[in-house]
Amino acid sequence: MMSVPIRIGVLKLADSAPVIMARQKGIFARYGLETEIVVSPSWANIADGLAWNRLDAAVLFAPLALMTMLGRRGHDTVLHPLSRISRGGNTIMLRGVNPVKGVWKSGAEGREIFDIWQAAIGRKPRIAVVHIYSTHLLILRRFLKMIDVDMDREVEILVMPPTDMISAFSEKEIDGCCVGAPWGMEAEQIGLAFCVGGSSTVLPDHLEKMLVVSDALFRSADTARRMFSAMQESLSFCRMPEHREEIAEILALPLSEGGLTLPREATFRILPGGTVQETLGFAGGEVQFPDIKWIINDMAALGWLDHDECGNLVFWTDSPDARLLHAHAPSL
Amino acid sequence: MNDVDRSRASLKVLVADANPKRGQALSQTLRADTSLEVLTVPAGMALIDAVQLHGPDVVLVDMERADRDALDSIRALSRSAQERPVALFVDEDDVELMETAFDTGICSYNVLEALPQDVKPLLRTAIALYGRFRRARDELAEAQRALAERRIIEQAKRFFMENEKTGEVQAHRWFQRRAMQTSRKLAVVAQEYLAAQKKGDA
Repeated sequence: MMSVPIRIGVLKLADSAPVIMARQKGIFARYGLETEIVVSPSWANIADGLAWNRLDAAVLFAPLALMTMLGRRGHDTVLHPLSRISRGGNTIMLRGVNPVKGVWKSGAEGREIFDIWQAAIGRKPRIAVVHIYSTHLLILRRFLKMIDVDMDREVEILVMPPTDMISAFSEKEIDGCCVGAPWGMEAEQIGLAFCVGGSSTVLPDHLEKMLVVSDALFRSADTARRMFSAMQESLSFCRMPEHREEIAEILALPLSEGGLTLPREATFRILPGGTVQETLGFAGGEVQFPDIKWIINDMAALGWLDHDECGNLVFWTDSPDARLLHAHAPSL
Repeated sequence: MNDVDRSRASLKVLVADANPKRGQALSQTLRADTSLEVLTVPAGMALIDAVQLHGPDVVLVDMERADRDALDSIRALSRSAQERPVALFVDEDDVELMETAFDTGICSYNVLEALPQDVKPLLRTAIALYGRFRRARDELAEAQRALAERRIIEQAKRFFMENEKTGEVQAHRWFQRRAMQTSRKLAVVAQEYLAAQKKGDA
């Protein structure tokens, strides 16, 4: 057993539920894991924490994990995808009045609705995401492409924390956002924005977050295996609709009581078992290459990855067992 | 401008601290160096907007700021067709400085052409000041904790004196002995006594 706690970085998002619940339900402890959950104010802190050995694991989306690994924002850092965490849950929210009822259709019809909405807004739409190297940006780009809108030319992209988006909507600083759960639902409930699409209309069930671990933790094979098992148990718990109420309750608790101060009602509505347009799914198992293939392709299309890097990343998701064997190979 | 002046061309430093008091202290410290032009982020303004407004050479950023993520994106963003984009400062050869900075909760972003020898003294100054603020905060927390313990012990002694019809000296001795016998802190023993008392009342 490790003598120091495993430091796991999370943000105030519903995706963090499997880590939060693993502690609350004593699952980590049952697997002999001592953990310290670090609630981070920004994605940059998560990436820096992993880069400077201040975090051992984090709930993270693949684009930032890959860019951190490649040293695109600080020094390069070996990271491993230990487990899937969540699927979908991202919402594209716009302010003002929705010209149609519900989500927008793709193609020319969607483009027409976009033009009507933009005319009402009266400027080049300002659309916020939480981080540039996020799945949200990729989903937003795909959505705009589906309605024939060029992200580079026709909208202005901003980056801000989800909680700031709520106030930015009310002050008309932004016209839209692509944001993770439960923040889109929260904006809708307050009456600040409406949902025009998101994960389910762009790329249903796409991998959203994963548990990424440091090389040191990964090489401590027994700990990594126990961590994986604990996460699978917690993910199974979080997937069950009958636990929706309890999870929402705990995520709404203050930090000092092990929660994330999430808005309770919005969180309850988007958890598995909810019936809203975009619900968050929890996904167990190892991260497989098909899970991140679209992400790598999109990142390459944006010019973030070159041909060689794409080729090397194919091996990133080799099964942990295979890689644990590799990790042990020198000592054999 | 003569040659000496030109060699000390001013470096524009933006201080982005979520704690206004500390930010002010850091700005003041830096202003002692007349070769620096020190600016701060106005309250309520997003970090990226302040960077766009001032076009600094170096930005010292409090890592508690949630809007730091916008700085990560500055080079990839379409709208940041800025003349002088900033990027996270990383010194691969000075891991200790980087880790200390991280632990202290401060980081630096700078324009690409900024020299490490210009950035590092600023980062070190910020680390030292953040350290002082943290120590002051720790000391305050320690004083508050000691005060709270004192209160618990006094209250427990009062109950003991009432229950056992004894004086303060005897009460103090009783708690002290109990603490010694069980190898625990006086305050812990007092807390337990109070808890038992409450239970008895219920």
